[in-house]
Amino acid sequence: MDTGRTLSRRSVFAGGAALGATAMMAGEHILLPHAASAGDAGDALAPPHRPHLVPMHPRVDQITDIKVCIRPFRAAGPRLDVERIGDKTVFHNYGHGGSGWSLSWGSANLVVGKVAATLNRKVAVIGCGIVGLTAALTAQRAGFDVTIYTRDLLPHTRSVRANGSWTPDSRIALTQTAGPAFADQWEQMARFSWATYRTYLGLPGAPIMFEDNYILSDKPFDDGPARPAPAGTPGRMPRATEDFATYGSRIRDIIPAVEDIPAAENPFAAPHARRHSLMIYNFGAYGHLLLSEFHQAGGRIVIRSFHTPQDLTSLPEKVIINCPGYAARDWWRDDSLVPVRGQTAWLPPHPEAPYGLDYRGAALLSKTDGVMIQAVDLDGLGEMTGVGNSFEHPDPAEAARAIGVFADLFARMPMVGG
Amino acid sequence: MTMRTKGTMAACMAALTLGMASAAAAAPCAELAHGADLYRTACAMCHGTRLEGNFETPALTGRFVANWAGAPVSELEAYVHRAMPLMAPGTLSPDDTRAVVAFLLAANDLPHGRTVRVGARTRSACPS
Repeated sequence: MDTGRTLSRRSVFAGGAALGATAMMAGEHILLPHAASAGDAGDALAPPHRPHLVPMHPRVDQITDIKVCIRPFRAAGPRLDVERIGDKTVFHNYGHGGSGWSLSWGSANLVVGKVAATLNRKVAVIGCGIVGLTAALTAQRAGFDVTIYTRDLLPHTRSVRANGSWTPDSRIALTQTAGPAFADQWEQMARFSWATYRTYLGLPGAPIMFEDNYILSDKPFDDGPARPAPAGTPGRMPRATEDFATYGSRIRDIIPAVEDIPAAENPFAAPHARRHSLMIYNFGAYGHLLLSEFHQAGGRIVIRSFHTPQDLTSLPEKVIINCPGYAARDWWRDDSLVPVRGQTAWLPPHPEAPYGLDYRGAALLSKTDGVMIQAVDLDGLGEMTGVGNSFEHPDPAEAARAIGVFADLFARMPMVGG
Repeated sequence: MTMRTKGTMAACMAALTLGMASAAAAAPCAELAHGADLYRTACAMCHGTRLEGNFETPALTGRFVANWAGAPVSELEAYVHRAMPLMAPGTLSPDDTRAVVAFLLAANDLPHGRTVRVGARTRSACPS
């Protein structure tokens, strides 16, 4: 354990002696800025932001689960058009890429608005992933009598194999293929979703919460202009990272900005660090809450598999909101859906370390239902990582590499404590 | 009044109504253009340039159509006149109110008749 003298010197960075002492009494380790050992900095240089973080020690032998998701990517953006099948009117709501959770409420708002104009009172929702469930809730809130028809309930759908954080333009479309009209629609969805998610903050069990997310780098951050997309049009398949749409700047007036952490305040063993407040979704609490809300409002769920679009003609409802996610490729024969594989490894929850990390192509989020570690881009492929890959089987080696990124990071970090 | 007279009158009324309906199926393009201008200056700041609304303000599509389906257009005009724009209700002249409502109906592909008729979707022939 450090001496009091060392603590008082280092506490300039760690957030004050009182805080350091409290943490020591609790037997906790505290991460300090790595510049702290360079000598006295003096109180005059007290930084405005003083991260005091409990380190994590992720290890492969702590894995509790490995989940594989297939993002339902469409170059033109999610499918939101209307189709007639027999006497049914089908409102599509699928293909949200890596942004299904983040855009779910906004997408539901768009679709339910269109459904409302049909003047029907009863609506069927196909699918109970996050897109189906939020569409069902939105329809209930608009006065509809809603039945969900689904093969699986939320805990078993592909939705809960995501990482669960605010990523509204993660592989949502290709800029050129989707065109400028989709950008406007995306903004509308993103703003509506964000506002709705905010209504789930501050609730028991923290279904939705913010946490500090640290973006770390061994090299200075490259803030230069984005590289141009390859010449020609990409069509349905992305060719390079630059083909993917990025719309985040359209909503920066409501999304907490990323800030640089000066070297003197950087507690990590990586020379460059940034921080932002990231909204995250805790699947257990949030999924349970949404399902409860649906049932409390009189919603019904029918467990049922569909095999062809014609199967819908047997439903009593005339109006159907179709939210099958990646399953649309199979049952709606929609080959515009491109699989983009992603994998998350889950370790036991670590509530004393409520923060996230992004480093060397791996991401970590500390959530109420576990520490999530994801191989986002370990091989420098950028947004092309996982594109075209529908292998829905855990890859333990990939999980080990991602965990290794953070195990190595924490092994190199200075800390205070016993 | 004989049955025959009644029948003739009914037929005349029907013809009159039909005639009015067809004459009023689309608002004059000048009125629609004026309504679109008014919408941009008086309504879009809350309801959005594409009538899309936001988390706090209702869209003027979808549920808006359902809410007014079957209602007399005069009722919708009266509502818009007395309640909108929210920061200055009652400031739209009767002509401006009619133009804004004509624009809203056309934007939802609804015919401009006496009632808000859903199911009789019609695209405006006016240049947008």
